[in-house]
Amino acid sequence: MKRMNRMTHKILPALVLLLSPLLVPAALEAAPPSRGAQAEPLPAAVFDKLILSNAKIEVGDGTVIEGGSILIEDGKIVRVEATTITNVAKSVTLDLQGKLITPGLIAADTTIGVVEIGAEDSTHDDARHDPNPIKAGYDPAPAVNADSTLISIQAIEGVTTAAVAPQGGLISGEVAWIDLLPGDHANIVAASGVSVAANFGRAYAGSRAASLAQLRQAFEDAKWYRDNQRNYERNQSRELVAHPLDLRALWPVLDRKIPLVVRADRASDLLALIELGESLSISITILGASEGWKVASELAAAKVIVVIQPTENLPGSFDTLGARLDNAKLLDDAGVTVAIAHFDSHNARNVTQEAGIAVANGLSHAAGLRAITLNVAKAYGMDSEYGTIAPGKVASLVVWDGPDPFELSTWAERVWVRGHELDMTSRQTQLRDRYMDLEAFAP
Amino acid sequence: MALWPLMPALALAISLGCDKPTSTTTPPDGASDGADEQVPANAEDPDPQGRATLLRAGKVMSATGVSYSPGAVLFVGDELVAVGAPGDVEAPKDATVIELGADAVITPGIIDTHSHMGVYPSPGLSGLSDGNEMSGPITPYARAEDGFWPQDPQLAHALAGGITTAQILPGSANLIGGRSFTIKLRPGARSAEDMRFAGAPAGLKMACGENPKRVYGQKGGPVTRMGNVAGYRKAFEEAVEYQRKWDTYRRKLALWEVGETDSRRANAAPQNSKRGKPQPPPKRDEKQRPEPPSRDFGLETLVGVLDGDILVHMHCYRADEMSLMLEFAASYGFEIRSFHHAVEAYKIADRLAANDTAASIWADWWGFKVEAYDGVRENAAMVTQAGARAIIHSDSATGIQRLNQEAGKALFAGRKAGVEISDEQALKWLTINPAWALGVDDQTGSLEPGKAADLVVWNGSPFSVYSQAQLVFIDGELVYERGPNSRPRSDFDLGLRDELRGAP
Repeated sequence: MKRMNRMTHKILPALVLLLSPLLVPAALEAAPPSRGAQAEPLPAAVFDKLILSNAKIEVGDGTVIEGGSILIEDGKIVRVEATTITNVAKSVTLDLQGKLITPGLIAADTTIGVVEIGAEDSTHDDARHDPNPIKAGYDPAPAVNADSTLISIQAIEGVTTAAVAPQGGLISGEVAWIDLLPGDHANIVAASGVSVAANFGRAYAGSRAASLAQLRQAFEDAKWYRDNQRNYERNQSRELVAHPLDLRALWPVLDRKIPLVVRADRASDLLALIELGESLSISITILGASEGWKVASELAAAKVIVVIQPTENLPGSFDTLGARLDNAKLLDDAGVTVAIAHFDSHNARNVTQEAGIAVANGLSHAAGLRAITLNVAKAYGMDSEYGTIAPGKVASLVVWDGPDPFELSTWAERVWVRGHELDMTSRQTQLRDRYMDLEAFAP
Repeated sequence: MALWPLMPALALAISLGCDKPTSTTTPPDGASDGADEQVPANAEDPDPQGRATLLRAGKVMSATGVSYSPGAVLFVGDELVAVGAPGDVEAPKDATVIELGADAVITPGIIDTHSHMGVYPSPGLSGLSDGNEMSGPITPYARAEDGFWPQDPQLAHALAGGITTAQILPGSANLIGGRSFTIKLRPGARSAEDMRFAGAPAGLKMACGENPKRVYGQKGGPVTRMGNVAGYRKAFEEAVEYQRKWDTYRRKLALWEVGETDSRRANAAPQNSKRGKPQPPPKRDEKQRPEPPSRDFGLETLVGVLDGDILVHMHCYRADEMSLMLEFAASYGFEIRSFHHAVEAYKIADRLAANDTAASIWADWWGFKVEAYDGVRENAAMVTQAGARAIIHSDSATGIQRLNQEAGKALFAGRKAGVEISDEQALKWLTINPAWALGVDDQTGSLEPGKAADLVVWNGSPFSVYSQAQLVFIDGELVYERGPNSRPRSDFDLGLRDELRGAP
């Protein structure tokens, strides 16, 4: 079940006031910005709303608002307008001077917060290591570590949100949805169980045919268990392929409340998953989909969302012989909802480069931005709250220092995660600063 | 020696296209609008060795520190003849002149110091996995060349990314993994020697840190970094001993030969011109001829390192470990040409500069193991700032396809942090610096008269996410032109990846 944490975030006035001379308290906003007005910290209670004004707003769905403004309250976007929002009580206005603002980027299929160092098993909480390949009930949300260095390292480059997906087995577990709030243990998990993660190909018993059969069996047993719980309790049950808690975790998938997110690449596997989705009447998102372009029209017709990494263009195995750089373009042309990811949690921040490469290989720029914001939210069924700059959505936003967030020379300049503006430092920036001047060290 | 015309269709397309811009001025859209457009094979090429080609582009970045906007490059056969402003580069009458347009940028061919193409190919099948001779931690006798599969499809993808030269290394499982070899990415190779970079010195792959101890920790060691260094020491002690045995032998042989008379030597002179087969002296006591020691290719490799003939490429992440390895090498009188990965190079950039040791690094990889935990985006910029040689390497068949973008990320991260890095400096990370690390900087790595005509034409700044290599020349041959049906196809591709012929 999707469990949303109803959070009571407030804009932290202390942080807001640190920001810049461009901040204008509501009382002064008609007057030109005055440095004198900033010097005196104002009582925290004065502001609980933030207005970002004079921004080029890339909404994330393809529309662009020049000179627009955004009103944020309680971690949510309240208003988005094409003019300057004024006369809002207890508000502070930040003039973005025409800079580009986009939705916070969303990283698909990460282990952010549950794997700190790849090769160090003691830092892993990304998998439940039991013998049963069906681990659908494994929920990594309680393990997400807000103190992980990966969080600020991604967030200060514009990744504000991530799907944290368990790994391993045939059905790996439940996907948690996190707001990249460094150090905020209480609030980092926005929602748990937003989807169920699975693997296809040869994930089970060394055979794709066996994997498919076992996936189907898991869902059939989940249904049977729901209809026959009493018999099960009385020990009058057939043998089930998984523990009841793991079968129970599949119910919201069967009810189409959340999608099944499956990793698969080979065209024949994608067709098999389309067929599985239709026969069980469930929503499916496919990760990887290297050969997606070969079955693009089938994916489009079945409304399967794909999450791809555009740079994966090598025949790394016989499952990816058809991998190509323009997969995103071909899928998008066919009407498939395409999301883009960089499947390396430590560098999920490079998703902008992935989008740029997709654009260099034919995808439109607007589709590229959609692919790393709205479409990732869609892939996990989270688009009602994430992925665009629109009233009611979570206020995770990025101001860029250049006109094109995909370009390698462009960096995130300011980042808000659920209404909190981030301190733009990370363990990496601290390391850099320590060694910037080597004169301080022995030769 | 140039193999012109290796790709007759492309060669003709270019020579016919001399009066019109090539497709490089239009942005690539991945669409294949002329998939079946085949130019008949070029029947005769009158003088391939003397062919003059003049390229004019919006910008020429020479990697000597100088760029020309606009600029021109002239090469004849396989050799660069002139580089400069268009007005300063005169074309011979019979030259093929290619106008590339205002957006086009010409750089030297990109050079990767760290690749496992051919030894860890795609697909990653067990039967094709030939990069780590994990029979023991010290295998200086192994050669990457002997494990190299020239049909690896990765090679053509790297070429399409503007790579003209790469060092193929054994993996990092072993303390001493074996000899590397340097290739030029000429298509159509049937074996490793067809791609060998003639005249490039051999390299030796060594590895610090976690990998050797992880691989051998349960297999007799090394178990710790202490064991790692003890392993290098043992190997080099053996090499010193081996060298001593051969020195002793050579000295004895020389003394034995000194016993000959001048008159006999004069008489024997004509026969002596057959090198290596001196006439036996008539009065010599064959029983007294010194016996040569047994030869050992692995120890010869290490002696090559001690003599400075074989360049050391050492996989090493941590600053403290690199620093110790510099000291270790100095104690045996050799130099480490380049550390590889060097995630913490920025912490000891001054020491790298003092030792004239290059750092071959990624733009942003970090965190996959604890020795990679302290990676920063500014590494290359900070190494450059300290006066050391930074190199952006790939260690990845994906990354090698856009090493230019990896340099872009490192460049802009450095600038953002306040390090002054010019585009020209960043270009050196991909060209002349890796050429130096591989010992081929007198032959390639910059656009200068006399060097090989290894160059790339880009459709924009090489540091843009949107730029792609449009034309790639190796030794003056056009080996890649972006467009449908253009990427060379390996034997593996046939029948398996036919549908990808039109793919970018």
